[in-house]
Amino acid sequence: MKHENQAIPLEDHYIWKKPSFIRNPWLRYGLLLVSAVYLIYAFSTLSLDIQRVMRGIPRAMQIFSSAIPPNFAARGELIVTGFIESIQITLVATAAGVLLSIPFGFMAAKNISILPVYALGRAVIIISRSLHPIVLGVLFVKAVGFGAFAGVLTLIIYTVGFVGKLIAEAIEEIKYGQIEAIRSTGAGYFTILVYAVFPQIMPRLIGLSMYQLDINLRASAVIGLVGAGGIGNTLNSAFGRYDYGTASAILLVMIAIILVFEYVSGKLRRFTK
Amino acid sequence: MSSLTSGPLKELGKESYHWERFTAKQRFLRFIAYLTVAVLLYWTVSSIDIYWPWVWSAPIEIQDMISRMIPPNPGALPEIIPALIETINIATIGTVFAVLISLPVAYFGASNVSPNKVMLWIARVIIVSSRSIDTLIWALLFVAILGPGPMAGVFAVTFRAIGFLAKLIGESIEEMDWGPVEALQSSGASKAHIISYAIVPQVLPTFWAVTILRWDINIRESTVLGMVGAGGIGMLFQVAIDLFRWRDVSMVLFSIILVVLFGEIVTSIVRKKLI
Amino acid sequence: MLEIKNLVKSYGNGERVLKGLNFSTGDKKLTAIIGSSGAGKSTMLRCINRLVTADSGEILLDGVDLLKLRGKSLQNARRQIGMIFQGYNLVDRLTVMENVLSGRLGYVSLMQGVFRKFPAEDVDHAYQMLKRVGLSQYINKRCDELSGGERQRVGAARALMQNPRILLADEPTASLDPKTSELIMELIANLAEEMDLPVLINLHNVAQAKHYAARIVGLRDGVMVFDGKPDELTNEHLEHIYTAKAELKEQLGHKPRSKR
Repeated sequence: MKHENQAIPLEDHYIWKKPSFIRNPWLRYGLLLVSAVYLIYAFSTLSLDIQRVMRGIPRAMQIFSSAIPPNFAARGELIVTGFIESIQITLVATAAGVLLSIPFGFMAAKNISILPVYALGRAVIIISRSLHPIVLGVLFVKAVGFGAFAGVLTLIIYTVGFVGKLIAEAIEEIKYGQIEAIRSTGAGYFTILVYAVFPQIMPRLIGLSMYQLDINLRASAVIGLVGAGGIGNTLNSAFGRYDYGTASAILLVMIAIILVFEYVSGKLRRFTK
Repeated sequence: MSSLTSGPLKELGKESYHWERFTAKQRFLRFIAYLTVAVLLYWTVSSIDIYWPWVWSAPIEIQDMISRMIPPNPGALPEIIPALIETINIATIGTVFAVLISLPVAYFGASNVSPNKVMLWIARVIIVSSRSIDTLIWALLFVAILGPGPMAGVFAVTFRAIGFLAKLIGESIEEMDWGPVEALQSSGASKAHIISYAIVPQVLPTFWAVTILRWDINIRESTVLGMVGAGGIGMLFQVAIDLFRWRDVSMVLFSIILVVLFGEIVTSIVRKKLI
Repeated sequence: MLEIKNLVKSYGNGERVLKGLNFSTGDKKLTAIIGSSGAGKSTMLRCINRLVTADSGEILLDGVDLLKLRGKSLQNARRQIGMIFQGYNLVDRLTVMENVLSGRLGYVSLMQGVFRKFPAEDVDHAYQMLKRVGLSQYINKRCDELSGGERQRVGAARALMQNPRILLADEPTASLDPKTSELIMELIANLAEEMDLPVLINLHNVAQAKHYAARIVGLRDGVMVFDGKPDELTNEHLEHIYTAKAELKEQLGHKPRSKR
């Protein structure tokens, strides 16, 4: 049936193989081998052990059975104050962090900065980006004591790392023609920044702040685990007391708040565009 | 279409009037937005539980801490290097597990290909709960379940990454071009063939991009797992802090920055090669 | 032999697109279906290979009612029906060869398909097909590197790889420039003749329909209003086919601009 179609002459035999992504077979199989060996090695070092997982299952069941139903009542007041503090930390840190990331963003933008300033700006951003908020939280708790202030400082640095980097990238992508136009009117350096650079990055900045608010809210929930204020504190002590009912209540509220926040900030970001 | 429906000029004039009103509304909304921000900030700063004298002394305290950290102690390196390798291994294995689990979740969670409503909602619940709980909280949970060690870390990384990967991959399935699927359907291809020929090729670029991105994020997150006992460099950090070994602390911080940069460089190279 | 009896299809908004359509063709020749947009041309073709599910009626292909098939027997019926799409519907990121071979997916096993291990005769057939449509030099090129006309040639090769008993084409030239459009029509007509296939082709270009088709069918508001040879199609017929319903016209005229 297949070759009844005489109009298409059967001329030659053709062998086809799907072309590989990596052409060189040595490189292809070499890379495969290296990754396989690495994965097996990494797997073996982690003492992943089925028996321990098996023994963990009854413990997990126990935890889940004491976590369900979630217990909102026992520490209700603490949960409320904890979340309020988390939100406060988030708001203050985001506002201050975004303001602070503007100068660092300008410093770290290659096209409008001079080399030493650029290097300094980049270094600050890289360091703040590389250190997890928990690490920063521990350091600030040690330096300024337990509580919300350490949390605020932590999230400010965290914000500078992310927003600063994105501002720098936004500035590096701006249209140079507008700068030249303003410069040709005889404007000075800061006038150029205000008239030609800032308006171009402003929409991005608002969107970014909204996004960072979302990220900071999530982070504020965990920095409390190391004593930097907010709901994390409450959660940590619930875990410490094996009070999984309260812990699951906190987690549920956290999920709800994050979802609502994500929804609202998504709407707002679309609106500001 | 508009050429069919453009009305007389009179109507056009009316429309520009509507447009102006809309701008005024926008201006009003903008004012409301500024006001909300101001009120929120005022409420926050005035009611937040901060002991202000500590704030004023903070610069001195921080300076003091930094001065105690300098210079970093290279003597800590023999302990740091194996911990760093463990950190990377936790991130990688966690990513591999998360990828394997997230693919079916992404498929069932994509509204255009999900076989039925029940599967769709199960997948969405998995995605939301995985994403909303931070890696460190997952780690607390798994340390309680499995006991301390890198295994709890791998589980924590995996459970947090499943939602991230499944959400982004699922969205790319929802956004893909449906034409090829129809073409293959109409040629009598089976569901598995349609996945292999029409869905996988279209989603593959996103798949690689988000997997690489997640590996990068997982390295960052793995650096702190040890602080709750889930393996990696975080444990050394916690120990050095608890013992007030500030020069070890700075050495650990320095190596964390290096390993995170390493992850960033590797991902940017792989991304360039792949995409 | 394809027979459509009393086919009815309405979409979610309740508007009936096909209102009891009757049509049959047994001849191995090209039938063009014309009509304004919304007349149900596309829906008719998509009902035949079950890309949309008709509400009622019968579609008999060699005596088998396609509307009653499910699962494996539906897949088997579908591979008898080739389809060429307006938007080509190729997988851009796969190679030309893979796209052509994907027309054989109804015939090969899961593993053969997934690992691209097609039977040697399928590969031969695909190669000859690509040669026939003049693309054999592009075998391992990705489809997103091809021009529109080249893509549609791949689309045609893919449809014919199925060894179909009937070929459907849904406005196959609507996305192409006039010159390429002629070339593709020519190619489809020739291929169908060479393979001795009946073809149902939706066209918006009446001149093309008159030139290539042996039979022209006019649809209006979901029913057939013309059926005859190209030289029987008069201007009065065309006016009848392409004049929209009076009330529809009114709606269009008074549509507020903001709704686009």
